[in-house]
Amino acid sequence: MRLIKTILAFLLLLLLFNLLNNSQGSIPPLGKFLNPFAGFWQNGEKLDQLNEVLDVNGLRDEVKVVWDERQVPHVFAENTYDIYFAQGFLTARHRLWQMEFQTHVAAGRVSEIIGAKALEFDKMQRRRGLLMAAETAIQHMDKDSETHLILQAYANGVNTWIETLTPATLPLEYKLLNYKPEVWSTLKTALLLKFMAWDLTGRNSEMDMSIIQATLGEEFVQTFYPEDTPLTDPVVPAGKPWRFEAMTPDSIPPFFEPQFVRDLKNGEPDPDNGSNNWAVSGSKTASGYPMLANDPHLGLKLPSIWYEIQLSTPDMNVYGVSLPGAPAVIIGFNQDIAWGMTNAASDAMDWFEIEFKDDSYTEYLYRDEWVKADLRIEEIFIRDGETELDTFAVTRFGPLVYFGENRLENGHPTGLAMRWVPHDPSNEMIAIRKMNLATDKESFFTALEDFDSPGQNFAMAARDGDIGIRHNGKYPLRGQDQGKFVRAGRDTLGEWQDWIPYDQLPTISNPWSGYVSSANQNPTGKNYPYYLGWDYDDYERGSRINDRLGQLNKIKFEDMQDMHMDNFNKQAQLMLPFLLNQLKVEAPSSEMEAIINDLQAWSYVSDPDEKAAWVYKQWWLHIEKAIWDDELTIFGEVRKIPARSVTARLLLKELKLPYYDDIHTPEQEGRSEIINLAFQQTIKDLGAELGPYGDAWELGRARGTDINHLLSVKGLGRTNLYTGGGSGIINATKKTHGPSWRMLVELGKQPIARGIFPGGQSGNPGSKYYDNAVNDWVAGKYYDIHFLSSAETGNNSNLSLTHLRNYQ
Amino acid sequence: MINILLPLVIIFILQLLFYSWWWIVLVPLVLGFLEKDSALKASAGTGLGVFLLWFGMAVYQWKNGGEIIVARVSEVMGVGSGLVLALATGLIGFLVALVAGYAGFSLRKVLIKEYQIS
Repeated sequence: MRLIKTILAFLLLLLLFNLLNNSQGSIPPLGKFLNPFAGFWQNGEKLDQLNEVLDVNGLRDEVKVVWDERQVPHVFAENTYDIYFAQGFLTARHRLWQMEFQTHVAAGRVSEIIGAKALEFDKMQRRRGLLMAAETAIQHMDKDSETHLILQAYANGVNTWIETLTPATLPLEYKLLNYKPEVWSTLKTALLLKFMAWDLTGRNSEMDMSIIQATLGEEFVQTFYPEDTPLTDPVVPAGKPWRFEAMTPDSIPPFFEPQFVRDLKNGEPDPDNGSNNWAVSGSKTASGYPMLANDPHLGLKLPSIWYEIQLSTPDMNVYGVSLPGAPAVIIGFNQDIAWGMTNAASDAMDWFEIEFKDDSYTEYLYRDEWVKADLRIEEIFIRDGETELDTFAVTRFGPLVYFGENRLENGHPTGLAMRWVPHDPSNEMIAIRKMNLATDKESFFTALEDFDSPGQNFAMAARDGDIGIRHNGKYPLRGQDQGKFVRAGRDTLGEWQDWIPYDQLPTISNPWSGYVSSANQNPTGKNYPYYLGWDYDDYERGSRINDRLGQLNKIKFEDMQDMHMDNFNKQAQLMLPFLLNQLKVEAPSSEMEAIINDLQAWSYVSDPDEKAAWVYKQWWLHIEKAIWDDELTIFGEVRKIPARSVTARLLLKELKLPYYDDIHTPEQEGRSEIINLAFQQTIKDLGAELGPYGDAWELGRARGTDINHLLSVKGLGRTNLYTGGGSGIINATKKTHGPSWRMLVELGKQPIARGIFPGGQSGNPGSKYYDNAVNDWVAGKYYDIHFLSSAETGNNSNLSLTHLRNYQ
Repeated sequence: MINILLPLVIIFILQLLFYSWWWIVLVPLVLGFLEKDSALKASAGTGLGVFLLWFGMAVYQWKNGGEIIVARVSEVMGVGSGLVLALATGLIGFLVALVAGYAGFSLRKVLIKEYQIS
């Protein structure tokens, strides 16, 4: 009996041990997680404590770090190696889990952390060639000794921080997911840069456009998907003459109807990834000094996308935001210049349908011959599972991302290959380093030559008075609309043959208007001799920025802040009076009357307390749906619908059009009918979702903003933030997306700057510096930036000093 | 009292030095094995010691800069407050130590009986 009791006791103990030592589904291992000596209880604010002296093995000289009141490190080092070593060390101190997790996402290694449920995601990441691209990049970057030094110093700094960790000080997410950090390598930084390139250039509508053209015809595409959307004010003003002899592409491929049909939108980056930037010359500012503003719009997450830092050595003093996991400052300023980026949105990706000889996918048809493909074998480790090997072909048109689903009429297997600029060798790291060191417009634009991808509109302002903007990036030489459709990967027609020369990319400096700006719109007018793409952001944000900059004089920071928070909805201004004019509501209820009255009284400003802003937004979406969804539902998916401005022009100009009619109903709907039906449907839907017309319909409540944790763990994000703004508005704040860093710089004798991002410096959810800026960001406030010239803290009680010393 | 304090002190020192949670398995197992007379002392006594240690340490961390993390994790775990979380921590410690202490005590009884027979 005692023996049985003993066995039962041990079995129970074993069961308990097993339950508490291992994750159970999404529940962390509770024994480890709740252990008050090493579990989550240890991730409190004591991790924020700053030491006066830290023994840091690996430094060449002493490094001084001045911490300000927001825990921004201002790093002062004696040499290049130490500054990036310290950056790696300090960034890891605040953001280790985030930087490592993002590289796992980029590399398609999420299954290693969360198991087989991430396998399909990992396979797609590998087949898109992100890991392959990072490997190519690191081989290329290692050839340059300065780049190698920077990347290695950063990696050494990260690894030195990792060595200091104990089970108690491990970041919370490792405890939640029950794993440990691995050694940081330079490849991880390359992965991060490629991931950023994917986020900004990975969206593509070629498959949709091919399907639409094949189904609805060329005229439909030409009419409703034009290269120049109506009302667009290009980045480089349309009248600018181009004084160079342009190259001419060999051929423009004929339209090709792909037989491999599938939806490429799955897993694509957010279409709202975009930004605003502008620079104004001293002639338009109150101080007489040039100013620059930037706010990149990205998916908003916690920990924050950006990490603020100042890096100072005898030959450099730069301040701005960095990407956790990559050395140097990505967006910022130094003593002489300031710069900001917006996504270029030009086309860096083309899809090709490839014909293979057989199911081994080892040979494909190219110029009437069977050509050997390289086979890439990806080893995907799976937590608590067997390692998966995924093999795919790499062709001269890029990796075969989709295959195994279709055959051609001749029985040959086929697939879609992705030709993408970031697959080619490049060294953006050295470009960023040179940007950090640049002293004037010329040296800044020269630095950009190495910045192949992601293509960006770089706006800059310099202390010597120059302002400028450059639509930068490496772009293939293509014929008109070449990148708009899937092409046949069978011959040289449609293949990338050459690149647009760097010195012929759209650039403008010191225009007579006194300002330059960009908002992801078309970079040029029709007279620019090269085809760069067509799927740019609509006109509204860019146009509104230029309206305001044109009107403003004696500009101060407060004007720029007001512009960043500008909630004026140009699209509503254009369309709402017309739509209200078409609206016919018979015997409206008192609620309906109140809604219509509010719409009529609305001044088109999408402030958070505006109910009309949300009603209008939903009404417009219903109208778009009513016009396009029937015709554009092809092969079971709603394909890409035309730009807002195209639909708007159509509604304003065309009383009758076959597309207004819902082909699924016997009635013949016209313009007025769809506008009215859409309105009724909008009110019905909003009523069902939000209840009676009242506060819940306010933009800030009905939509608001959620800044979720990277893992979307409830409780670690900040949700239901009362925000205004939206698509096509300068303040492009949306539900989970928006201005990820707002920065203003004035280039006087000493640069003066303000900035804010919606989060905080720390990645630790237990730190007050995790989300300390969120409320101020919502309110449109900014922080004064301390741009220090030395590590002397003086009498400033907000600053504290840490000495990083190598005692070995 | 010693049955409560001894595991508390030993595990406190071991966990400060070596962190691992499973000291609350190993130490009660050994202490249970060393307990000659009372199953209650070996199990509930040890369990109470570990409860006090884990609950006390959790509250200490919570009240010393842990307010934010405790509030967040309470939401993550879907529990109402930090106190519930601290109690859950203590109770898990209690349960594990109770079973381990009893298993150790029980093992001793089996082994000693077998030794006497042979």
